[in-house]
Amino acid sequence: MLLLLSLLTLLNSFSPKVKIENVWVRPAAKGMNSALYFNLNNVTTKADALYKVNSKVSKLVQLHATVTKDDGTTSMKEIKQIAVPANSIIKFEPGGYHVMLINLKKKLKVNSKIEFIFYFRTGGKVKIKATVRSEKSN
Amino acid sequence: MRSKTNRNTIFFITTLLFYYLLFSHGCGKNLPEDRPSGIKSVPLLNQDSSIVDFPDDFKGKILLITFIYTNCPDICPMTTHNMQLMQTQLKKDNINYVRFAELSFDPVRDAPHILKEFGDIRNIDYKNFTFLTGKEQEIKNILNKMNILAIPGDTTKIKNGSVVYFYTHTDRITLIDKEGKIRNEYRGSKTNIEKIINDIKTLGD
Repeated sequence: MLLLLSLLTLLNSFSPKVKIENVWVRPAAKGMNSALYFNLNNVTTKADALYKVNSKVSKLVQLHATVTKDDGTTSMKEIKQIAVPANSIIKFEPGGYHVMLINLKKKLKVNSKIEFIFYFRTGGKVKIKATVRSEKSN
Repeated sequence: MRSKTNRNTIFFITTLLFYYLLFSHGCGKNLPEDRPSGIKSVPLLNQDSSIVDFPDDFKGKILLITFIYTNCPDICPMTTHNMQLMQTQLKKDNINYVRFAELSFDPVRDAPHILKEFGDIRNIDYKNFTFLTGKEQEIKNILNKMNILAIPGDTTKIKNGSVVYFYTHTDRITLIDKEGKIRNEYRGSKTNIEKIINDIKTLGD
């Protein structure tokens, strides 16, 4: 039984997963909030969904979307999960989807690396490291 | 004789047209707004806790102002970055008659030292870039006069029980001329920097 479980875990680690690309975090002071951005590139033929991201860098981590209304106001809302259809790219970018890092436990300095764990419905857990960097040019 | 008179008339009209176009462009007459802000000057605090009389201390300079809160993880940093890009571009263009200001609509949390941290982490050049905070009611009055909406909401509780709140707010950069009149308004986070810089140049030195 143990052997079977180990085999399944091993198989899972080799199975194709959603790729997490162009990852970066915005710099911020300790105690403040920041955001993590990336592209989810589903190169597989199976649909998946991102439902959680964890990190020790902040007291709370949430999936968020920034919403802009016609009157020019913006707000944010928490989202429970984000579908990643087969053969698609879902962008988490400034002004749109982002992973919100609430109440940072430390200052996020440019060029420092932060660890995150992504949780997918089908693909399971994926660990990544993101670099803190400033915005790109407009 | 008649031909000479016609030539003189054409020359006169052309000259008039030339000067009209020159001065109307230079004074920014083609900008969509030309209205006094109606803000009675109030003392605010900058990132170093120094008093800044707003808007009087900016009169005589062109002012680009935006409205932020430092707990904002997404939109306000984008707007700040755009302000920084414009500051850099104008510096390259040797234009030194523009001031940049970011007014916090969250004065309860955004004390001067918090604004300083927000600026420092982004390597803001404070030479002509100021963060402002102040008394709640005075800031509310400024926001009202400038048609800026900022409503606290979207509350989240963290594990230790403390409450974090975010704002629904107007995403805007406002261009104010040397006389303190509002001349144009732009989206702050996703904006056409070239357009704003052209408007500044239209207003001129």
